[in-house]
Amino acid sequence: MLFRANHRLCSALIGVSAMLGVSAGDADAQTLKTVKDRGTLVCGVSQGLTGFSALDDKGAWIGFDVDYCRAIAAAIFNDPSKVQFVPLSAADRFPALKAGKIDVLSRNSTWAMGRELEFDVVFAGVTYYDGQGFLVPKAQNVTSALELDGAKICVQAGTTSEANVADFFAANGMKLEAVVVSSPAEALNAYQEGRCTGISSDVSQLHAERLKLTKPGDSLVLPDIISKEPLGPVVRQDDMQWFGIVKWVNFAMLNAEELGVSSKTIDEALRSEKPDVKRLVGSDGDFGTDLGLTADWAAKIVRAVGNYGEVYDRNVGASSKLDIPRGVNQMWNMGGIQYAPPIR
Amino acid sequence: MRMRFLGPIVMASALAFAALPTLAAPLPFQPSAPELEIDEQPGYVPPKEAEQLPDGFERQYVFFRTTEPPGSIIVHTSERFLYLVQGNNRALRYGIGVGRDGFQWSGLVKVTRKQEWPDWRPPPEMIKRQPYLPRFMAGGPGNPMGARALYLGETVYRIHGTNQPQTIGYAISSGCFRLVNDDVADLYGRVPVGTKVIVKHAAKL
Repeated sequence: MLFRANHRLCSALIGVSAMLGVSAGDADAQTLKTVKDRGTLVCGVSQGLTGFSALDDKGAWIGFDVDYCRAIAAAIFNDPSKVQFVPLSAADRFPALKAGKIDVLSRNSTWAMGRELEFDVVFAGVTYYDGQGFLVPKAQNVTSALELDGAKICVQAGTTSEANVADFFAANGMKLEAVVVSSPAEALNAYQEGRCTGISSDVSQLHAERLKLTKPGDSLVLPDIISKEPLGPVVRQDDMQWFGIVKWVNFAMLNAEELGVSSKTIDEALRSEKPDVKRLVGSDGDFGTDLGLTADWAAKIVRAVGNYGEVYDRNVGASSKLDIPRGVNQMWNMGGIQYAPPIR
Repeated sequence: MRMRFLGPIVMASALAFAALPTLAAPLPFQPSAPELEIDEQPGYVPPKEAEQLPDGFERQYVFFRTTEPPGSIIVHTSERFLYLVQGNNRALRYGIGVGRDGFQWSGLVKVTRKQEWPDWRPPPEMIKRQPYLPRFMAGGPGNPMGARALYLGETVYRIHGTNQPQTIGYAISSGCFRLVNDDVADLYGRVPVGTKVIVKHAAKL
């Protein structure tokens, strides 16, 4: 199998930096076999974050991160319901993965070098490019963060956000009056009482916080992103095959969107004569089998949970309450930076 | 440019099929509904609150990477958005209504003419299907063309306003792009004749 044959060659060819520090193939754990024998995927999620992983009113897990685990289950079992979700705190998530209590961590976790090295884990890709931004009143008529000179910005104490805001203002020669608060709730209060004229935090959170305002429509999240918070699924470093599956599930969903293959068009896609569509849905080639799955693995994913754009739209985009513009998470050829290597 | 469905249509702005029922009241907003079956409502003046778009379709600045120069217009029909490129990785984004299936097109054109409160002359094909339509309607608030029109190249297409703000976000027209009147007036004020307009739609299977 491709991934086992030569890790160094592979990482050079595929160019995925996440393959750093992977141990020899012989020692690979058998995560796929374990999951198949068990009959369910065990997926670590948050303890409740609107849009990403949360329980709905019927007690079912829903969200962007949740759908990634459902997609993996669909690829393996052709059944997106065969997932056992394990809610984890921020502190517990990586130790839980390292200890083998979960098969994959899909919990709005930022890919950072230190995490891979400290916990012997590896990020399988970037499913959501988050980053720090600004929430401001529409009445200010500000259209860019560069126009915030002299603004009073609420930031949470002790977070990277505090340092990032200071860096951004300094780098652009702007004066900052930081209003340091202890919690997101306090930031909202201060903002509504006019003690600060903007809030800075990760953009996905700002959209969620905006909904809690008395008049959400009076405020907007600026399009500027001043820090890198790439979120993605995480696996242990001891199983290259499993890493490959999680990684290519993400890439398959991205490629599906780029090729126009969605849950609504999947039947049409299976009859398509376009070579790249045929390779994706498995009517040409046998990439899925080489991955340890079936030839139609990607078709199963798209049928069950949809392509990347559908998952985004449903959970955090235009069809959700959060209503976050695609922004950086738009396809690379549509104005964003989401880009998947091709299936060929 | 792909225009094969549109040969016979002389003036394609906001045509609809004659057999469809006339809409009595604005429909609730349904972002997931791709197509909307609704006739023109010449003379209908929408209440001001109906012109307030839901958040997702409201005019806003967004992150947008492109190699097109600032000032260019890029229309993504499958997304139902029109982007006015601002440079520095941003664009001003407007929610739009687009052509229904079979009436969608892509290509590169230029704004060749601008018109405030354009008149409406339903083409003969449309009069044949909908004989009750006016032969001519002077520009104004009840006009299906809305507050402004940007003529695109030598084509029958336009970027125009609408007196049916509830159709923003839907595939409804015969290939034109419709914005709510506030938005089309805003766009009109920002782009000169000669502006580059790129129309893209989703990949075909």
